[in-house]
Amino acid sequence: MKSNIKENVMHGVFLIAACVSIFAVAMICIFLFTSGIPAMFKAGIFDNFLFSGEWHPLNDEFGILPMILGSIYITAGAILIGVPIGILCASFLAKFCPNWLYKILKPAINLLAGIPSIVYGFFGVTVIVPIIRDLFGGSGKSILTASILLGIMILPTIISTTESAMRAVPTTYYEGALALGATHERAVFKTIMPAAKSGILAGVVLGIGRAIGETMAVVMVAGNKTTFATSIFDGIRTMTSNIVLEMGYAQDLHREVLIATGVALFVFILMINVSFNLLKERGSRAEKRSRKKIAANSKE
Amino acid sequence: MEKTMYAKFPKMQAINRRGFVQKLREYKKHPFSLLTYLLVCIAALLTVGVLLSLIVYVLVRGIPALDLEMFSLEYTSDNQSMLPAIINTLTVVIVTLLFAVPIGVFSAIYMTEYAKRGSKLVKLVRMTTETLSGIPSIVYGLFGAIFFNGVLGWGYSLLSGVCTLAIMILPVIMRTTEESLIAVPDTFREGSFGLGAGRLRTVFKIVLPSAAPGILSGIILSIGSIIGEAAALIYTAGTVTGIAESVMDPGRTLAIHMYAQTNEGWYEEQAFATAVVLLAFSLLMNALSGLLVKKLGNKEMK
Amino acid sequence: MNKFTKLLTLATAAILSAGMLTSCGGNRDTITVLSREEGSGTRGAFEELFEVEKTRDDAEFYNSTSVVLSSVAGDKNAIGYVSLGSLKDTVKALEIDGVAATVENVKNGTYKITRPFNIATKADASELAQDFIAYIMSAEGQAVIEDNGYISNGNTGAYAGSKPTGTLKISGSSSISPLMEKLVEAYKKVNTAADIQLQQSDSSTGIKDVAEGKSDIGMASRELKDSELQQGLTPTVICTDGVAVIVSKENSVNGLTSEQIKKIYVGEISAWSELN
Repeated sequence: MKSNIKENVMHGVFLIAACVSIFAVAMICIFLFTSGIPAMFKAGIFDNFLFSGEWHPLNDEFGILPMILGSIYITAGAILIGVPIGILCASFLAKFCPNWLYKILKPAINLLAGIPSIVYGFFGVTVIVPIIRDLFGGSGKSILTASILLGIMILPTIISTTESAMRAVPTTYYEGALALGATHERAVFKTIMPAAKSGILAGVVLGIGRAIGETMAVVMVAGNKTTFATSIFDGIRTMTSNIVLEMGYAQDLHREVLIATGVALFVFILMINVSFNLLKERGSRAEKRSRKKIAANSKE
Repeated sequence: MEKTMYAKFPKMQAINRRGFVQKLREYKKHPFSLLTYLLVCIAALLTVGVLLSLIVYVLVRGIPALDLEMFSLEYTSDNQSMLPAIINTLTVVIVTLLFAVPIGVFSAIYMTEYAKRGSKLVKLVRMTTETLSGIPSIVYGLFGAIFFNGVLGWGYSLLSGVCTLAIMILPVIMRTTEESLIAVPDTFREGSFGLGAGRLRTVFKIVLPSAAPGILSGIILSIGSIIGEAAALIYTAGTVTGIAESVMDPGRTLAIHMYAQTNEGWYEEQAFATAVVLLAFSLLMNALSGLLVKKLGNKEMK
Repeated sequence: MNKFTKLLTLATAAILSAGMLTSCGGNRDTITVLSREEGSGTRGAFEELFEVEKTRDDAEFYNSTSVVLSSVAGDKNAIGYVSLGSLKDTVKALEIDGVAATVENVKNGTYKITRPFNIATKADASELAQDFIAYIMSAEGQAVIEDNGYISNGNTGAYAGSKPTGTLKISGSSSISPLMEKLVEAYKKVNTAADIQLQQSDSSTGIKDVAEGKSDIGMASRELKDSELQQGLTPTVICTDGVAVIVSKENSVNGLTSEQIKKIYVGEISAWSELN
């Protein structure tokens, strides 16, 4: 009887713990939205916030369209640079690397993940920016610079998720491909990679999340201009850097609009997550269907 | 998996092992494979190159600025001591874990051991944790500043920072715990039930210990992100330089210390010395997790 | 070809086309204009003194003096501005209308680009806060200010305070924080019983904190606004700081007129060659 009470109490405790995350999300939504959304309407949600390019907060102009585009450009650039390198590097770790090298490389890449973003920022300002400036002219602070830096920063995320996804693929796939006469490379990229697809995709989404949310490093290398970018050598401001740049000095409506920028960023990320989940669901449904088909065919 | 198979059947290795000449011949036949191979190697080299240049960069700028004075107990503008910041960081790490680990582990236990399969609550919890893990740290910072500092009236304090961080690392701990709980074979549970143990006893005596390495690695992962976090803490824990005597005092962690040092351009070199220490911390965390996994992994094998 | 290789080719193509783009574009002596973020005390003072109504949108904005310094140091086409107290020898401070940006010139009134460092208190400030302010304004406090490259506006004689005990919270401008830190340390040597917390944020937050009672003294690196004064705050000017306009050491320009600087910052001049 006594142990029964204990069971029930602990069951309740576990249940409450599970609800904490729901509670946290609810609180975040409530407090961000109640402090951000009224400001959006006060400023004029469409014509003076979301779809306006004029950011002069002291003159009551709060257009964040350049920042929204800036976040998109830089994230896309980071993905373009980080994902191919990350996937290739992960396949090196998983399938090409001799054991002794792996023992050195793996912790090294984990270390890359542990470096604080401010350090990346300074690295960007004093190493990458001058290189870009010498190569392409201009100030060196540009979408390209920020994309490269963010590309580096998302590498560890992409590498570790891709690597574990590739390792989770049964060895029989690889061996089957070899037995059919494929080279090692072909076997890795044509059988293991497709089988690890959903894991890799999840890693890419994580990378997108990290890139779009990165603040301290981007603010140092992106130039933070409030104009629309015309080429990848133009500076740009992201939503995150807009917040961190001006939060300190902001007052009244300006401050609320910055919180509203945070809300916009939050909604943006929610949208990415939801669309990824839809994609994943559809993918797994399609996979199931094709598996059923294969099973049916083999029965015949 | 591969290795164990080869260990069982040593002859299998021979099929896959090719000599250098043989490899070359093969690549001649399949130039695309050679290209892929080269690309893979280049990518790996690039990653290592970037990592090395980052580390060398930090060390070259930071080590000359490091001196013993930077570890004195009292911060002054002259010695730029980081010891108070280190102590604050440790406090923040410990208190954050005190909040986040029980909640994270318990909710993972609920999700895997108690909840009915396909229950709506589980779906909701999973969705919210995914949302949480996607929120950028600056947004957490804003929320913390509005809610903990403002609505609850804590002001700039370690506690505000800790609560913000606890929500931030919750999804990591939940996910890693859940994964390692799922990985525990059902036979363990069945065996325990069969011997007459209750559910609670089974969870705490059988399932959790076997899932411990996974949970620990999740915890270490989140310690790393707490140590490196700056954006979420500036608006919540503040930038006061001294050692925080209670959790209601404001205080800066090591990452914020570096941020504040660089801000006005007065102490840039010292900031890199701080970066060296941050790097050392992250190295330590890595080594620790490697060691733990190895040790616990071995025990399990036996 | 699978998706993955397609992605790869895409990436290479992007990088290549990027290279092509630059070989034909970009005037190499276009001025890179660096500014502080909207709301910054330094920027407010700069814009007011040079009568810049609206800094051009395509300027680069930073919230950290150190990033402005290191960016200008490495870019021979860049121009920016920082507090005189933060000036480093990695960059070159321009002469404005023929006057060099030095402490002497600020003192004798020939260098006009200056702003006050303000602290704000409520009328019912604690005894400790009042004593600390008395210390700052005393000969000892102003000596600390001079030692760190800021300009004293005279002092009230030797410090003879009551040395009260208690806790004092100071918050505000990151421009003043490093100086305030020195002042706090000097004061603590005199009054060992005081417990002082220095919270570095920014001018507006500092003032707001005082108005809301979260801190005792707020620091603002600009004049207080009317809306802030209406909240019952008393400003005290603790010293004067110059704002230095800086360029890279590789830049051959040594001085500009204030008219030229204004034109650069509003966007009427966008290349160094247009200056002549």
